[in-house]
Amino acid sequence: MLDENAFATQDAFATLAVAATDPVGYAQSWKARTGRLVIGSFPMNFPSELTHATGALPVIIQESRTTITEGRSLLPEFYCSYTRSLADQAAVGELDVFDAFVLADHCVQLLGAVDVIRWAKPQIPTHFAQFISSMDDPWSQGQVIDKIASLRVEVEEIVGTTITPEALAHSIRLYNENRRLLREFYDLRKAGRVRITASQMQTLVKSSMVMDIEEHTALLRDILADLESRAGEPGQDATGSLVRIHLSGHFCAPPRPELLDVIEECGALVINDDLYHGFRYISTDVPEDVDPFDALALWYLDRNISAPCGTRVQRNVDWDSYLIGSLDESGADGVITLMAKFCEPLMLYYPELKKALDGHDIPVLLIETEHEGVAVESVRTRVETFVERIRRNKTAVPAVASGPILATN
Amino acid sequence: MSLDVSSREPVELLSTRDRTLDAVDKSNRLSSTKTGGKMVAEYWENIFTAKERGKHVVWYNGTALNPIFQAAGLEWCHGEAFSARLAAMHLEGPAQAAGEEYGYIGELCSYARTHLGCAVMTQKGITEKQNGIVGMVDQEELASKLPSPDFFVNAYAGCSTGQQWDAMTYRVFGKEFPIFNVSLPMIWGNKKDAGYLRGSEWEKTPLYVEEQLKKLIEFIEYQTKRPFDWDALSENMFYIKRASELRLEAMALCAAAPTPATYWDWVASIAPINFMPANQALVDYFQGVKDEIQYRLDNTISAVQNEKYRVYFDGIMNWNKLGWLTRKFAEYDVAVVAGRYTHDSFWQEPQLIDLDRPLLGMAQHYLICPINHGLKIMEELLIKRCDEYGIDGIAFHSTRTCRAMTNPQHILARTAETERGIKSFFFEGDVADAAFYKDESLESGLVAMLESIDMQRSRALV
Repeated sequence: MLDENAFATQDAFATLAVAATDPVGYAQSWKARTGRLVIGSFPMNFPSELTHATGALPVIIQESRTTITEGRSLLPEFYCSYTRSLADQAAVGELDVFDAFVLADHCVQLLGAVDVIRWAKPQIPTHFAQFISSMDDPWSQGQVIDKIASLRVEVEEIVGTTITPEALAHSIRLYNENRRLLREFYDLRKAGRVRITASQMQTLVKSSMVMDIEEHTALLRDILADLESRAGEPGQDATGSLVRIHLSGHFCAPPRPELLDVIEECGALVINDDLYHGFRYISTDVPEDVDPFDALALWYLDRNISAPCGTRVQRNVDWDSYLIGSLDESGADGVITLMAKFCEPLMLYYPELKKALDGHDIPVLLIETEHEGVAVESVRTRVETFVERIRRNKTAVPAVASGPILATN
Repeated sequence: MSLDVSSREPVELLSTRDRTLDAVDKSNRLSSTKTGGKMVAEYWENIFTAKERGKHVVWYNGTALNPIFQAAGLEWCHGEAFSARLAAMHLEGPAQAAGEEYGYIGELCSYARTHLGCAVMTQKGITEKQNGIVGMVDQEELASKLPSPDFFVNAYAGCSTGQQWDAMTYRVFGKEFPIFNVSLPMIWGNKKDAGYLRGSEWEKTPLYVEEQLKKLIEFIEYQTKRPFDWDALSENMFYIKRASELRLEAMALCAAAPTPATYWDWVASIAPINFMPANQALVDYFQGVKDEIQYRLDNTISAVQNEKYRVYFDGIMNWNKLGWLTRKFAEYDVAVVAGRYTHDSFWQEPQLIDLDRPLLGMAQHYLICPINHGLKIMEELLIKRCDEYGIDGIAFHSTRTCRAMTNPQHILARTAETERGIKSFFFEGDVADAAFYKDESLESGLVAMLESIDMQRSRALV
């Protein structure tokens, strides 16, 4: 396991955990320290590199753990927890640290929440450049390039600077390096060389969304160096009795760490995921060999191939096929789909995922999450049953009289 | 208060679907809209036989692409329209059950899951036919009667679910039929010059959509193996433009108090303006509606007996409850005179239609769908309508599975109160899932709002 108390790792991981737990606090202290602007973006496709190239701190705005109060009178209860939290954060002043808001995603609930923010915080610029969500049309790439150009103008105006190609290329390199390092953690976990819990992985990824990227990368390097020095041989971890699980779903906001911990307490070992606060976020690098502005557009389009998303439409790409392939590669025994209640893209896509998994005899368990948390003991019972069912299937005695046994050469 | 249960009267627990209001019906709906009902019924009956007639069938959602389909000689099935029809006829159950069995969760857009349920049933019918099985899917079930598509076209404004819904329908049919996506950006209205039908964003965005519509026509030509009939498109848009003008002229007559027609009459006229074939019959329909309204005005015939309050309806229609709501509001002397869904939709700016360049006007209309604006424009439109129709109060239909319509409602309520002192209330319901409707929520909210309006009026007299 990633030992948070190991000497070399302790301080580094703690710093990441603090930022992941309190992104607004981190942004406030960064702003006080540097005197520079903080620009908030919304999930899941805004390229942080563009903001970074202005010298401002790009922060992907997170769901707050605060109980929703004022926000209840701004968005109805049948919105996802993330969007209701955004409305609430705007109303109670938790977003005041941000000097501007930017977004590129078109989720109907998200747009409702951002409209609330625009209304509650009229003095803070809020820019929306809607990236096309139909990814494989002949005009898709051109449209995204246009939108990147308009976002460039907006963020330049906010910060009062010009983004040079060199500055953007530099930012791209920094973010690519950060993603590459995070993928190394995934590789180590998948290979069974280290144990990194799902909640620890979430901390690693989530903190990268809110921290100064160079500071984050330096801390990742410390942790990684320590881990690699202590890592076992591939497949040599002591987790053989655990059921290997792939976590799927959960866009925009992270599932609560305590939920992830409960899942792993039930005999499941999370070895991979396609969560936004997980592999989906770090799946794709921005090309470094083309014009850096065009590269951001390519990144957006490439991403839906690297880790297909239910919020995009693309004829030649399927999340379900990707998921099956990913399970083959990681050797996961089953899938737990985490669905934020009222998340329409996931509600729409889930039957396709289930159909594909059923078609491959891969067990799947659906767990709905809410802002207020979930009934832990109920989840525990369901996960324990799920894990037990997989265990039994794995150890089932093969049926007698199957063809090959009786066959003669 | 007696606690003796034996003396209590049994409580009436029938759903609103199965009972009628005890009060006298004080609503007076237009009779001319019945022609529309007949037109729509005939339209769907015709669609059900499309395959037998050797026609190409397109499934689509969202915006009114039908003039293009009509010009291309296609038969068109509008997903929401069919879901709404099932719900209005209280026949949505089998489709929703099929969707649920397939895996769609009840909180998903009920238009989408009803239509996806139809897709599941249609797909099952195809599979059974291929396997030589006859009659497993009940062909008497209205929900199972849609002809299978030859291709899909998606053009959905203002709601991300709209595009994803068609992507899922495409998958339900095993990706066997081609799909074409028209991407309609939201009119976010963030620039200083932004507003309804104005500003740089408004000038630029329709051109981008117009180009996609040209590509759509190329796609249709490829699918049908026929050249597109541009003259037919202009002719279709001529009829739509004229029908729209008549509709708006008739709506304007309802600024009179008491109003000669209500929102519910305009709801009954949505299907004709939204997806009926563009022809003289369509124009005649709206001429008939306008004539009846004019007749009522000339003869002082009101749509609600004793109109005392004029209310605006914000939210998408609750199709299960059209008749019920018509009577319910009238019972309280409320004339619901206008609404976002009826008055800010469906070819509502006919002056934009240029018959020599029809695609641009169509693109513009697709972008002014009432869920495709940012809040600033929504506020502008709401205040405009409230002023036009002398609105006293607003009924916000908090539409459980339609986040697109619900998005701005809480802030719109504040805007109406702040800008015009207009009171409002919220009630819960849904587009096509009767389970979400709360009659008590409507009644208590409505009564409270009317009392507030009475108090406002009393104060104004002092």
